Amino acid sequence: MINTGVNKELNMSAVIEKNSGKKRFNLSPYLYIGPHLILFAIFFLFPTLYGIYISFTNWDLIGDPEFVGLANYKEILFNHESTFYDQLHNGLGNTFKFVLFTVPACIIVPLLLAAGLNTRPKGLKFFQALFYMPTLFSVSAVMIVFSMLFSVSFGPINHFLNVETNWLSTQPYAWITLVVVTIWWSIGANMIIYQAALNGISRDLYEAASIDGASSIQKFFRITLPSIRAQILYTVVITTIAQFNVYGQPLMLTKGGPTSSTSVLLMYIQQNAFGSGISIAGIGSAMAVILGLCIMVVSAIQFFFLRQRD
Amino acid sequence: MGKKRVTKFVSLIFLLFMAIIWIVPLLYTVTSSFKSEDDIQSSAFTILPIHWVIGNYQDVLFENTSAPVAKWFMNSLIISVSQTVLVLAIVSLAGFGYSRMKFKGRNAIFLFLMATMMFPAVVNLIPLYKIIDSLGWVNNYLAAIVPGTAGVFNIFLVRQFMQGIPKDFDESARVDGASDFQIFSKLILPLIRPVLTVVALFTFTASWNDFLWPSIVFNDVEKMPITPGLQLLQGMYALDVAHALTGALVAIVPTFILYLFTQKYFMESLSLSSGVKG
Repeated sequence: MINTGVNKELNMSAVIEKNSGKKRFNLSPYLYIGPHLILFAIFFLFPTLYGIYISFTNWDLIGDPEFVGLANYKEILFNHESTFYDQLHNGLGNTFKFVLFTVPACIIVPLLLAAGLNTRPKGLKFFQALFYMPTLFSVSAVMIVFSMLFSVSFGPINHFLNVETNWLSTQPYAWITLVVVTIWWSIGANMIIYQAALNGISRDLYEAASIDGASSIQKFFRITLPSIRAQILYTVVITTIAQFNVYGQPLMLTKGGPTSSTSVLLMYIQQNAFGSGISIAGIGSAMAVILGLCIMVVSAIQFFFLRQRD
Repeated sequence: MGKKRVTKFVSLIFLLFMAIIWIVPLLYTVTSSFKSEDDIQSSAFTILPIHWVIGNYQDVLFENTSAPVAKWFMNSLIISVSQTVLVLAIVSLAGFGYSRMKFKGRNAIFLFLMATMMFPAVVNLIPLYKIIDSLGWVNNYLAAIVPGTAGVFNIFLVRQFMQGIPKDFDESARVDGASDFQIFSKLILPLIRPVLTVVALFTFTASWNDFLWPSIVFNDVEKMPITPGLQLLQGMYALDVAHALTGALVAIVPTFILYLFTQKYFMESLSLSSGVKG
């Protein structure tokens, strides 16, 4: 269906092109890459550069941005009196905590699942489909489900554990819940990547190791892990970037609480720029630039360390 | 051999244990959506409903004017389908350009695009809103459709796939007098169907599940897609398990069905996208 629509349009252009003669300035490559380049420039490149620029202004999203130099950065990084200082430090701190808590689990759990599936158990397809499925669901749908599951008074978790734990609004339970939910929701893709990688390791390696008397654990660390290092690197970097952009889980599950202990930076950025009241887009942008820098630096460090072992 | 059996047994136990954790939230959602709220409050934890009801669906889909789920669902469908079609057209054209056309600066442009992928998207959020606002697209489907088409990763995938198609194919077609457009549409497009399927599936699900961006550009309850809509729904049904879960379930049905029919492609695509990087 989709293809025929495209074909028709292009065939028409083909006719037009033919009629317009052969050798001339060759415009046609730009007809192919042009549509994307224009969209890219308007909706990615320009706003990204402009986002950096307005972090140096006092923009309110409506009027003209007025250049204020490093004032926003000074305010959020060093002015202890400012609420924005608190927001940045609390939000960035919580974002880093979230990354630290979830990334190792989002690597190890799917790796274990993939290793389990690699023994080709009965029901392989079913297991695979089940563990992968939550990645297809939106964060808001999943958070509704888990907010009910973990509810103090009518949640089945408390009922079956026979406790009265306030999972969503006391610590450390709020963090535990966020981490568990994130693992449940997002390990599917990594698992599939590891499955494919494990599949590609030659069985001979393991058999030779067995003959040499290697234990399963030795085999895992000496054969399995080195063989899938490229995929580990890829998933660590991608997963870390994804977790730095955490927003929906704390927003809908813990509402950033208790007492802002799970408020992440993206929540503050959203509030400052688009929340009720006058927009403080300049400050929001400065926060976004700092978050972006953190993501880039951390990815670079990971890349450096995981690549070096050659 | 005995050792192998033990490994197999242990991993099966582990998988079954994990499967229970994964299945409980899903089962809980499905069964709760068929329970009446009274049943949930009085005999909350029977697995199957005592009385099966479909009233929750009626209420959630059509009755609640401040959380019009059926409307949201249609909005989401329009947005996700349009974005998918648009991305397919843009991406296959661009992929052809970078893979098959010769022009000045081709590799430089392509490398530049690839490099921008490393740039965190969060920085462009605020100015992007301003652009959408000045185009008059706030509360318009276009706000959710168009910005997503600027992405680079899909072009990379498609170009990579096209590089695997022997150039001799094009050459012989060219000798037969075919134009670039003909080579593109008659020869290359049919051959890149597998990678286009992958792009389509990912674009559709990503578009359907997008949360932060549409929650910024839609504030009209009638116009918004379902994923940000659920946040309103959650507030409305904070103490009403049956209705809240019914809403969530409605929202996940399309991607679930899509997955059922195209599982194979989802699996292949993931190894495809990680493989080229690895």
